Amino acid sequence: MHRRRRGARRREQDGGLVNLKAFFVATLSSALDLGIAIPDDVIRHVTPDVLAAHLPRPLWARLLTACVGAPRVDAQLVVETIGVPNLCEHVPAPIIWACIEELALRALGGVVIAVPAAMSSSRPNPGQTTQVSRPIPLASPPPPLAAEHKVAAAPVSLGPSIPAPGHEAELDASGRTRVPPGQRFRPSSSGIGRLAAANNARRPQAQATPPAPPPAAELPAERSGTLPRVKRGQTESDFDLETYVGNKDDWKNALAVEDEQLVDWSASDETVTSGDEINRKR
Amino acid sequence: MSNDQRQAWFARVMESGLENDIFAPSDVLAHATPDVLASHLPPELLSKVLSASLAAGSMTPERVLETVTPDLLAKHLPHEVLWQCIAAAAARAGVNKTVGS
Repeated sequence: MHRRRRGARRREQDGGLVNLKAFFVATLSSALDLGIAIPDDVIRHVTPDVLAAHLPRPLWARLLTACVGAPRVDAQLVVETIGVPNLCEHVPAPIIWACIEELALRALGGVVIAVPAAMSSSRPNPGQTTQVSRPIPLASPPPPLAAEHKVAAAPVSLGPSIPAPGHEAELDASGRTRVPPGQRFRPSSSGIGRLAAANNARRPQAQATPPAPPPAAELPAERSGTLPRVKRGQTESDFDLETYVGNKDDWKNALAVEDEQLVDWSASDETVTSGDEINRKR
Repeated sequence: MSNDQRQAWFARVMESGLENDIFAPSDVLAHATPDVLASHLPPELLSKVLSASLAAGSMTPERVLETVTPDLLAKHLPHEVLWQCIAAAAARAGVNKTVGS
């Protein structure tokens, strides 16, 4: 970097900078292509006197030839005939830079008419380009641009919160529509639970005798595990079907066992109606 | 000139300046300071910058400009900031010192 800068200063004294010229060519060419600049802007700085002093004779010959044969001679013809690369190659860099600076200041100034006045006032003091560029942007263009960016940045920052509610709304909408089927599905599965609850409804009544149902349930399980295997050793499907049937029979058997226990309930009821409990209570 | 044309031109100037070593990425970030970037870059771009830096383990000006390309610089940052960077580079090169002479 240091070597390049030192070399750049020496080359500048010689009349040009390699990298700087490429930069100038790209900058001026793109400005002309994009309509940022017009040939008149270039000729305003690269005057005929400048061309006479720095443009090589062969290029002058080409320019003169083009001008002689053209129906109209204007800045566009001069710039197109010489070409931006040749202009940046032979015209002193400060002049090209002054042209670029004017374009930039005008671009920064936007539509505001006061910008050219600032530009003209900045030309006499070209040594301080940063000072020239600062006041002008602060005059008119920066506020709208900064305001636009800030306004754009603010909504974007608010954006994340905005899409979130949007998604939530969608989720809510879909969730609300999806929740009912889910609730409908749950009751369907819970229907079995209701049957079980119905069975459990009986059990609470039998909660007075909780120890009795568990052994009754264990007994059919043990029976279903042993009896079907002994009875039939056929296919598994038949085996399962029969096991279910056997389970129902076991339920009946289990109920028969509970009936034995229900005798105790009836006995207890009888005791309630009987005078024995009254005697006991007394 | 439209804003798009101006934006495209500043993007091209920044790109050319970096390509031709007129100014370095560090020079760009000297003007496009973190405050400027944070104030003007959109959240998604800031996220990319941070993600790239986290993936690489460091945040260098070169890496920042790999994500925030000249096109994005010209799109989001105030052009005055970009111009200050360009003008400062020209001043360092001594180009504008002899304009009046």
